[in-house]
This record gives sequence, C-alpha cells and structure tokens, in this order.
Amino acid sequence: MAARFWLRWSWRDLRERWLQVVVIALTIGLGTGTYAGLGSTSVWRRDANDASYAALHMFDLRVRLAPGAFAAAGRLADLVGRVDHAGAIESAEERLILPTGVDASGASSDALTILVPGRIVGVPVGNGLPRVGAFDVRAGHGLTGADAGEAVGLLEYHFAEHYGLPPEGAIRLSGGARLDYVGQALTPEYFLVTTERGGLMAEANFAAVFVPLETAQALSGHARQVNDLVLTLGGDADRSLVQGEIERALATEAPGLGATVETREDDQAYHVLYQDIEGDQQFWNLFAALILAGATLAAFNLTSRIVEAQRREIGIAMGLGLPGTAIAVRPLLVGAQIALLGIVFGVAVGLLIGEAMRRLLEELVPLPAWSAPFQPRVFAEGAALGFFLPFAATIYPVWRALRVAPVEAIRTGYLAARGGGLASVARRWRLPGNTFGRMPFRNVLRTPRRTLLTALGIAAAATVLVGTAGMLDSFFVTIDRGEAEVLRGAPDRLTVDLDGFAPAERAVALVREPGVVDEVEPALRVGGTLVSGGTELDVSIELLDLAGGFWRPTVTQGDATGGSGGIIVAEKAARDLGVRVGDEVTVRHPRRVGEAGFETVEDRLVVAGLHANPLRFLAFMDLGSAGLMGLAGAANVVYVTPAPGVSTDEVKRALFAQPGVASVQPVGSTARVFRDLIDDFLGILGIVQLAVVGLALLIAFNSASISADERARENATMFAFGVPVRTVLRMAVVEGLVIGLIGTVVGLGLGRIVLQWLVDVLLPGTIPDITVSIALSAETFAKAFGMGVVAVGLAPLLTARRLMRMDVPSTLRVVE
Amino acid sequence: MIELERVARHYRLGAMTVKALDGVDLRVAPGEFVVVLGPSGSGKTTLLNLIGALDTPSDGRIRVAGRELTGASRGELARFRRGTVSFIFQTFNLFPGLTALENVQFGADVTGKRRARELAAEVLEQVGLGLRMGHFPNALSGGEQQRVAIARALATRNPVLLADEPTGELDFRTGVAILELLRTQADGERTVLVVTHNREISRAADRVVELSSGRVVADGPPRAGRAPIAELHW
Repeated sequence: MAARFWLRWSWRDLRERWLQVVVIALTIGLGTGTYAGLGSTSVWRRDANDASYAALHMFDLRVRLAPGAFAAAGRLADLVGRVDHAGAIESAEERLILPTGVDASGASSDALTILVPGRIVGVPVGNGLPRVGAFDVRAGHGLTGADAGEAVGLLEYHFAEHYGLPPEGAIRLSGGARLDYVGQALTPEYFLVTTERGGLMAEANFAAVFVPLETAQALSGHARQVNDLVLTLGGDADRSLVQGEIERALATEAPGLGATVETREDDQAYHVLYQDIEGDQQFWNLFAALILAGATLAAFNLTSRIVEAQRREIGIAMGLGLPGTAIAVRPLLVGAQIALLGIVFGVAVGLLIGEAMRRLLEELVPLPAWSAPFQPRVFAEGAALGFFLPFAATIYPVWRALRVAPVEAIRTGYLAARGGGLASVARRWRLPGNTFGRMPFRNVLRTPRRTLLTALGIAAAATVLVGTAGMLDSFFVTIDRGEAEVLRGAPDRLTVDLDGFAPAERAVALVREPGVVDEVEPALRVGGTLVSGGTELDVSIELLDLAGGFWRPTVTQGDATGGSGGIIVAEKAARDLGVRVGDEVTVRHPRRVGEAGFETVEDRLVVAGLHANPLRFLAFMDLGSAGLMGLAGAANVVYVTPAPGVSTDEVKRALFAQPGVASVQPVGSTARVFRDLIDDFLGILGIVQLAVVGLALLIAFNSASISADERARENATMFAFGVPVRTVLRMAVVEGLVIGLIGTVVGLGLGRIVLQWLVDVLLPGTIPDITVSIALSAETFAKAFGMGVVAVGLAPLLTARRLMRMDVPSTLRVVE
Repeated sequence: MIELERVARHYRLGAMTVKALDGVDLRVAPGEFVVVLGPSGSGKTTLLNLIGALDTPSDGRIRVAGRELTGASRGELARFRRGTVSFIFQTFNLFPGLTALENVQFGADVTGKRRARELAAEVLEQVGLGLRMGHFPNALSGGEQQRVAIARALATRNPVLLADEPTGELDFRTGVAILELLRTQADGERTVLVVTHNREISRAADRVVELSSGRVVADGPPRAGRAPIAELHW
C-alpha cells in the first residue's frame, strides 16, 4: 500500500486523539526543551564572559601591595617597565585602592539608610583611560581628565542598581567626605561583587566607588601614592614568564611592599564566573536529565497506551493476511509523528527557557555582552532521546499485538477480559468498605506497567523538585547555623573595620568617642593560607581575646582558648587539609616590617581546635599571638555592642563619621550576603521548578485522560447500574492519589539521594568554602506532595465533563 | 411493570434521520419472561436501552415499575437504574480488577445492600459458581463470566432484568444454561426482558415481541407454544 495511505490513516489516528497527542508532544517538548535550555547555559556563559572581559580589557597581571603598604606614583610602572620582557606589556596602569564606608542614603529616593562597607578605587582617567579594566557606563556619564582631583566618581553598577539609585547623585565616604557620582559603571573586577568575607553577589552590602587616581589620593591623604598596578599583555605573550620576572623585580627592588603578582584567574569574580560554569552545568545537566527522563517515561507510557488501543485493528489486519511489517507501519507512524511534534514543541520550549535563562542570568550577572543563541548540538542530544523513547514506546505494544493469534485479537472482549495484572496478589487483601473502595486499589495493581511508568514520571518530577528545593533548604539551614553561631551570646554586636592597622588603645578610643557603644573589643583580621599535605586553603584569620572577649567561636573539638599560639580552624578546613586537633599546620600570613611594610612568612602552628561555623575560610587565634604577624598591640577591627538605648543604625551613623573607620556592619551581615545570593538564584530554580510542575501536570492530565478512555466501558457499565458520576470520579481520584503517592514517595527518596550527591560531590567543587548541612523543609515536602499527590489525584476531575456526556449505550457496545 | 406508549427514538446521522423506534406500544407484566426478537437494526437494543433508562425517547411515554421515565432528570434516571433495573450484557462487562465474588458484590453495593459480601456469595452459589468466587474474570470461561454477570444483576435484587444478547458470545450448551438461569428468575417473580436475534431462544419465552424497522410487527406467545429449554437447539 502507498505510503500516502498509511500516512493519511495515521493522521486520522492523531486527529481522533488530538488532545492527548498534543499533551504527549508537549510532554516530550518540555523534556527536550528543558534539556536543551538548561544544557546550553555553559556555552552561553563562557561566550558572555569571554566577550565581556575582552571588551573591557580585564587585566592579565595585577600587582597588589600588602595592606597598609604604598609606593610612590610611577614606581611600580617603572619597575615592571624594566623587566626583560617588558615589550610584551601592552598597558600598565597604577591605581590606589582603599577600604571605605559608603553612605548612599542621601542618593536614595526611597529614604533608605544605605550604609555599607566599600572601596575607593582610584584609576587614571581621561584620554581613553582607564584602558585596563575599562568602564561600561550603564547610567550617567563617564569620568574625564577634567575630573582629576575633583570629588567626583562613578558608582559600581550592581550596588546602584540594587538600591535603585539615580544615575547621578551624592554619597558620603567614611570620615564624612562628600563625593558626587556622575554615573554608574560595570568593570571587569566587579562583574560579580565579592567581599573579602567570602560573599558573592554582595552588591547589597558592598559599594565600590571609582574615582580619578588624584581624587583617591586626596581623599585618603596618600598624595602621589599608589598600591596597585594592573597590566594587559600582548596576545602571544608568555604570561608566566612576565609574571615571574615582575615577581623577581619586586622582591629585589621593593621587598618592603609585600607585593604579590596575581593573574586574572586569581581575581575572585573572574574565578567564580568561569569556575562556576562547569559546576553549575553539572547541576543543570542533572536536573535537565531528570526532567527529560520523566518526560520520556511519561511519553513512553502514554504513546504505548494510544497504540494499545489499536490492538484489535491490528488483529483484524492480521486476520486479513497483512504482513506484520505492513501492520506495524501505521502505529509506528503515529509514534514517530507524536515524537516529531514533541521535538518541534521542544524547540519552542528550548527557546523560551533559553530566553528566560538569559534574562535571569543577565539580571543576576549583568555583563556587557550577553546572548543565548540556540545550541543545536545540545538540543539534538535531547531530541534524539525525546524521539527514540516515545518511538520505542510504540514498538513494544505493536510487537505484543503481533504476537497474539488473529483469532484472539479480533475476538470481542478479548482485551476487556484480559489480565488482572498484579491484582491477584491482593486477592486476599481485604480492604474495608465496599467494592467502590476496593476497585481503585485493584486498578492500580491490575495495570502494573502503567502504574509504574506514571509513578516514575511523577517520581522524576518530584526528584527535581525535591533536589532543587532541598538545596535551597540546605543553604538556608547552613546560613541559619552560621548566623546562630556569630550571633550567639551577643546578637547586637557590630564589626567596626578600620581603614588600616592602628594601636589597639587608639582604636578603642576612636569607637568610644561618639558615646554610642557599650562593650568594645579590639581585634585583628588578616588574610592567610593554611597549608598541609599539598593542600592550600585561603583563610581569614581573626585574632580575638579568646579567653575573655565578649564573643568567641563555639569550639566543637579542642581548646576554646586557642592554646598557646595555636589556631582554631573550621571542621571542614581540618577535613580538607587532613589534619586533626593537635596536628601542626603551616600558616602563610603577612608580617609587618617596619611601620608600613609587610612580608609574607610561614609558621608552623598547632591546630588547637575546630569551630562550628560552616564557613571554611574563618580561622581564629588568640590576640596574644599577634606578635607572629608583627602586630602586637595593633587592631584593624573593633567589635562593639550598642550602648543601652542606642540602635544599631545610630551606632553605624555615629561611627561612620569617625576618621579611620572604613565600615560598620552588624555581625550578621555575612549571613545576609549569603541570603541575598540565594535569593538571586531563586528565579533560576523557579524556572526548573516551573518546568517540573508543568511536566507533572501534563503527565497527570494525560494519564487521567487515557485512563478515562481505557476505562470507558467499565465506567459505562457502572453508569448502567446507576452509579453516579461523582462516585466514578471519586474512584478515579483515589486511584490517582495512590499512583501520585507512590511517585511522590519514590521522588522524595530519589530527591534526597540527589541532594546528598549535590552536597557531597558537586558543591565541594563549586562552593568549597561552605559546609552545607543537608535539610529538607516541611515546605519542600508540602510542595512535593502538592505536586505529585494532589495534582495527579485531582487530574481525573478534568475528565468529569467527558464522563457526564458519555453515550452509555454506545460505549457499552464498543467491543474494545 | 413496563408500559410504553407510542415511543419513538430518532437519531440524526448527518442529514438523515434514522427512526430506530417508531411508535412502539408495549406492556409487560411482573414475572413475565419476554423475548424481543428482530434482525440487526430492528431497534431491539434501542428498546432495551429506553426501558433501562440508558436513553431517552424522542417521543412517547415510558413507565417502569410505576415510575415515569419521560422527562426525568439524569440523576433521577440513575436512581431509577440503581433501584429498578439490572443489565446483563452480551460481552459480560465484568470489572477485570475485581474477583467474581467482588463483581457480584458490586451489584449489592450499588443498591446499598447490607451484608453485601454474604449476599454476593449466596447468589454466586445459586448460579453454580460457589467454587470460583476468588477468581478474576480472565480466569473464567465465557459461560462462567456470563453467570457472574447474571449474579451481579441478581445481587441488586431489582425487579427488572434486561439482557442484551446474553448468549451471543457463548456456545450452545453454555447458552442454554444461561437461558435456564434467566427463566428461573422470571419464575421467581422478576420481569425478564431478553433481546436477541436468535429465533430459537424465543421459543422458551412466555411472550415474543418481534420488531422490524423500529415497529412491533408481532406480539404474543411463541407460535408453537412455550418449549422446554432442553428442546432448544441452534
């Protein structure tokens, strides 16, 4: 017979069940489209990063001086200009970067109090400068040569955007200096706002202010001084070679500056933006694969049920002597066309998800260049699966139908009376109540394959939901744990960061002067590196009065006082370093040399204890060990509590105006940074959750719809006996609830396993600095049950109209 | 028990109107065993569906067991079916997920009978399937399935049994047994209406109503008188 004949016949089959066909195709489309959309993010992000860093000339090398060290303007540029391969350097620009506090309350039209720690970044301006780390001015206008020395600058875009600040306005810096900002700009080092306390996307709590170099020098009192140099190299330059030469030159010619030479990979924002791509992609791949698996299981189930309905016609064709291959053409064409339609929907869903992801990513990380082109290769992978599995779903029932003897296949009632499935295992299982109560459970067992495939489809959706929601739960629980730890005992205490090291007595006097604080404790915070067995971990070491201070970390093992000169590290740090309490670890840290110079030294210190904070980069020592850093009697941090009757905001305002105070933050602000960060990701996870809820609803609807078709004769029989529609619906709802419950319980179990994998395997690679505690909230359970049980349970109600309109006599006479 | 006055049922098939029944008058007394005979398309199943309140007439009046079906709402018709008539189908229409006993219990449950399980067991014993109670329909022969279907109808204790080609799927020997079972029900004061195209079956009836093109063309006892079921052959 002609192909056109079979094609036309298959089209009629499709048209006859057009709603179910569309829903199956949408299911496939959702699976393949989500797979393509989520699977493409790494390509988009890498392209966007490359283009954005190239456009704004991210530095290749950066020379940073130790905190408190400064060099005369021109000295660093001169030094690097004399290395052997100086010809490879395209641009070298000196900068002055200093911590400060930023009061943007005056610029806010919402009368918000915006008092955050920040950084003044002094850069050369005018004549196309800065060239290295150029500005992408998003609002207002850029800086010109005429601005040099003037109290004008640009606000970092993320910060300004977060608070909805106008393109131009005025802010105040620590010490009360006023600065007019004339625009808002993106620059490569702030594509992602990070803090030294481990915060990512910290724009709510951190403000960078870009000013002309001369302005920064004037504001900070460091006239004609710099502490930073950024360089770009020619395309074919050997970066390691130049880096080595610069390091040697600095060590030889400027040993007191404590200078380090960093590459762009050392830049935290750069590192995170690239490093996270692979980790995030693994995360998306996992969920995309689960959604695709759920969709294909559902499509397999539903397509095979459509083909099963043709079994009697297949038997008739066999009876007419048609060869098996010819008989198989029609159902296979049906399956193939459903799969193809699904793939077409998949392109649309993929494009939609891609666009939604692009918008969210752009909002999350607003880079100068962003695009999310359709990724044919990734889509082809999903499409191949999305086509093959539903197509395979048609092969199975066709194969089964062809195995039956024609005489049986065409016999009236053959299918109606066939198989009890697993119902026989429950023969002696007597449920309370009448047959109406028993029938739904028997129906679940009667069709084990259908039950299993539907439940697995729901389970896949529930797994993704539990995995994504569980990850958020785990993050929030971890943050709560960290917050509880830092707030413990003195929840209203504040951290006062000074703009440099000062004698402890002077620091204490400085913060006491306005008369707004009660308890005061000077402390030190320095960056360092823990080294053991080839593993190196960057840490922020806080030196506190561990014996008598008004806050000290909870020590889960070891000596809470830090012993004599020991260090208290995070449990995860000890695990990652392979050390235990009592072991020695190498600590690389700065040591002050003279008044303003620093050098990096290594000491072997005993691990005196392990603390309970989930942040791995926090380490504590007793203030008595400050001599190791050459900082005995000095402080760069002061912890305070508000005086009775004084609010936190009042303390912040009063201390902000004190010269030498860089910022004042409640101790819980780190938790807030992390909370904000997670809030930013809720949108992206929302897309995934939307996709799985959509998938579950499609599975539920089509399963209910096809069940109503398959059970048409049983339902008609019940109607013939006077059973009301509501009773028939109630039985269908109970059956749906049972299947939904099975799927949800399986999904919860699998989701928990996925969550464990994410926390144990994936997260250590992407956020190694946090010990994430696994948690599943009651809300997540409620969401999973709501989606899996309620949606599947209630889906049969959508068939109520069809049941009410059923032509009972005709249905009773339909033989299959 | 059953009264039909000038009942008509018309269907529209595209531009055509098909008169499945056209002005049928019929009265059936309680305990009568009536066979409705006619060729395919004569309107006999339509007649059964109208009496069983599965369908509503285009014209005329229907009263069954004192209840007026004409103009009744969907809910009233469902209640009527629950409490008055029971169907036996050519293709049995048993619930595959329920055992024989549970299928019969369904009949008792649907009418809200107490001790439905015990009643179902009792009825199954009556139809000779006491040893097959725990079997699912797919483990029963065609004859056994039809017995279960009859038992299900009997378990409702409804006064009217409507059987649509009850022997159509069965071999002769089994068909005869089923007829005997139905005959027994009529003897026990139930009204039994059997629709068939098999003229031989009509010989066992108290009364034969012949339909042709939607009209009653004959109504009365079998021409040669009621024959014992043992004498039937087809």
